Amino acid sequence: MLKLIIGIVLGAILSVVAIWQTAGKLMFEETVSPFTVEETVARIQHNVQAAGNGWALFGLRYPTRPVEAEGVSVLPVIAIEACSPKYSGPILKDDRTRFLSLLMPCKISVYKKSDGKVYIGTMNAGLIGKLFGPLVAETMEHVVADQKKFLEFDPTKPAPALILPKAGGEGGGGGAAAGGC
Amino acid sequence: MNWKTLARAAALLAGLAAFGAQAVPSLGDKLPRVAKGTADHGKFKELQRVFKSGPDVTKACLACHTDAAQQVQHTRHWTWEVVDPKTGQMLGKKNLINNFCTTTVSNEKDCMACHAGYGWQDKSFDFSREDNVDCLICHDSTGTYRKLPGDAGHPVYVRKEFPAGSGKFVEAVDLATVAQKVAMPSRANCGSCHFFGAGGDGTKHGDLDSSLKKPGKHLDVHMDAAGLNFSCVACHKTVDHQVPGSRYEFAASRSGPPTPRGKYDAEPAACQACHGDKPHHENPLLMDRLNVHTDKLACQTCHVPQFARNAIGTEKSWDWSTATKMGPEGKPIVVKDSAGRRAFDSKKGNFAWDSFLIPEYRWFNGKVAFKTLGEKIDPAGVVEINRPEGKPGDPGARIWPFKVHRGKQAYDPELKNLLVVHTAGEDHTALWHNFDWPKAIGTGMQTAGLPWSGKYDFVATEMSWPITHMVAPKGDAVTCAQCHTGEGRLAGVGGVWLPGQHRNAIIDTMGWAVVGLALLGTLIHGGIRVCVLCRRKKGTNPQ
Repeated sequence: MLKLIIGIVLGAILSVVAIWQTAGKLMFEETVSPFTVEETVARIQHNVQAAGNGWALFGLRYPTRPVEAEGVSVLPVIAIEACSPKYSGPILKDDRTRFLSLLMPCKISVYKKSDGKVYIGTMNAGLIGKLFGPLVAETMEHVVADQKKFLEFDPTKPAPALILPKAGGEGGGGGAAAGGC
Repeated sequence: MNWKTLARAAALLAGLAAFGAQAVPSLGDKLPRVAKGTADHGKFKELQRVFKSGPDVTKACLACHTDAAQQVQHTRHWTWEVVDPKTGQMLGKKNLINNFCTTTVSNEKDCMACHAGYGWQDKSFDFSREDNVDCLICHDSTGTYRKLPGDAGHPVYVRKEFPAGSGKFVEAVDLATVAQKVAMPSRANCGSCHFFGAGGDGTKHGDLDSSLKKPGKHLDVHMDAAGLNFSCVACHKTVDHQVPGSRYEFAASRSGPPTPRGKYDAEPAACQACHGDKPHHENPLLMDRLNVHTDKLACQTCHVPQFARNAIGTEKSWDWSTATKMGPEGKPIVVKDSAGRRAFDSKKGNFAWDSFLIPEYRWFNGKVAFKTLGEKIDPAGVVEINRPEGKPGDPGARIWPFKVHRGKQAYDPELKNLLVVHTAGEDHTALWHNFDWPKAIGTGMQTAGLPWSGKYDFVATEMSWPITHMVAPKGDAVTCAQCHTGEGRLAGVGGVWLPGQHRNAIIDTMGWAVVGLALLGTLIHGGIRVCVLCRRKKGTNPQ
């Protein structure tokens, strides 16, 4: 009996360690981009605009700027924010899931690493959705499908222009706000 | 009374003294503040007049600075010519082909926007005339002095649209105001040419662009506008207008301690001139190991981890073979990349740009073999427009970081040399005016006095630029693991043993054998002790 209990406890500990080690990697996904940081961002932005389902650009963030202001040299990171009221609306209406506004708007991060390659970082929306009940799970399934479209690049098409944030318009801080995000 | 109490008392007294010094203003504090320097050029009668041209201003300057023009005339900034002491080759912009706009020959009216002189538009330029020297390009402190392509080095005398048809206008320079406000050269003065080489911000060097006018510490620790705020001439310490630290006289290695401040140094722009060749001293555990690296590596190899570290970026390649291709409507077009940088221009061909680039590393002893006009090439391979020399074991060589700019240029497939192309100008043979390669090459080669078979094709070229600016804060230097690993930064450089990257099977086997034997010994030793302990316990057990 003692052996059984020790076995169960050891198994539980090992499971916790395994989850602890892999959970972080499961929550986020990372792929290499064949383009420069700016071109990758621009292509994603244009894909977001073409994706339909209410998707709109919400903003463009440069998280390295305050770090540089502190005198630290850091490789470039640009975060694209996109939102679709079609998907965010039901989640924000429900008191039980409204706290998920913490994850809004959707973010896709484009960054360079010290190996010189450009990477695209996304959240594993499918996995996260499954953790918060059927409403969120179903919504996130749609988000995952659209997110795949955001990252489909056609290298034969010329590089589009970066869409820079402008006050009151799409891509700016207030752009998608009118859409409910 | 112990030493701590004494120290506190001393600090208190010092504080009181400092307070007293502030509270009672000195005579100097009561007097009006004075400008930096000892001469206010605005008060000079010679400068209180209307100037019609740049040479007019120079004449006024020379009334006091009698030898200045002659000094300038002995510099590369004036002659655009350098004699290689080793080969006797005539180098300098006047004689070389580069990987960008290719050559100044037959294009002087445009290129001389960056000449420290007035009026160089063809071979007839008089290099001996002192009033042809442009003082203001280096000494303007107003930021309003502008020279545009097409004016043969003259500043803007009449308000003009630039570029033509753009709707943007450049104001005429107020020469009197600029002359009255001359100053020592700032980063903006040097940068007016060196930041914009090859026709655009950041295009050429990769470690020089307009972000260095007012950089943060993250971009360059020395030029940090809120910190050390070094001007270019703080390192490129100029004597008699001679600016040291050119790529034609490159100090690739240097040994010994730093030069004391105020003492003459033949290589003041080298890092070691201030830091010495054993500069690491803060971490006692690492300093010896880091200082050993200075025998093999240039300081910049670790301390400039990436170049073009900003949104401006730098040009990676220029492909001339696509120039003269028109847009869908048969008219010249310009296409920009996602970041708004030039990607294609019917006048110039295709470009590729990027930011935060990892340098390429090569052994370099400071000598560069340049391709001169008319020199034979091997079109079967990539033509090295310039080749940094140096190899492992050369005491004067170090591993240096480079920006390698790649491209395609016109060459003569029969005579096998790069071609001089007349690009700039409004005449009917200029490539950027008429989009006709044979006419442009014909004029270019004729002006250069070189033969041409009448045929042309394009060949792959590359040009290497040593990276030496944009020095990052020490905490952001290249880390050990970025080199000491299988596919590290220095993979392929050769000539140096890199632990972590290079392996030797015998040494590895011996090392692992030692580890294995040590483990085995520990296990045997531990096992014996456990056995002995068990036996003792059994021996003392009454049952």
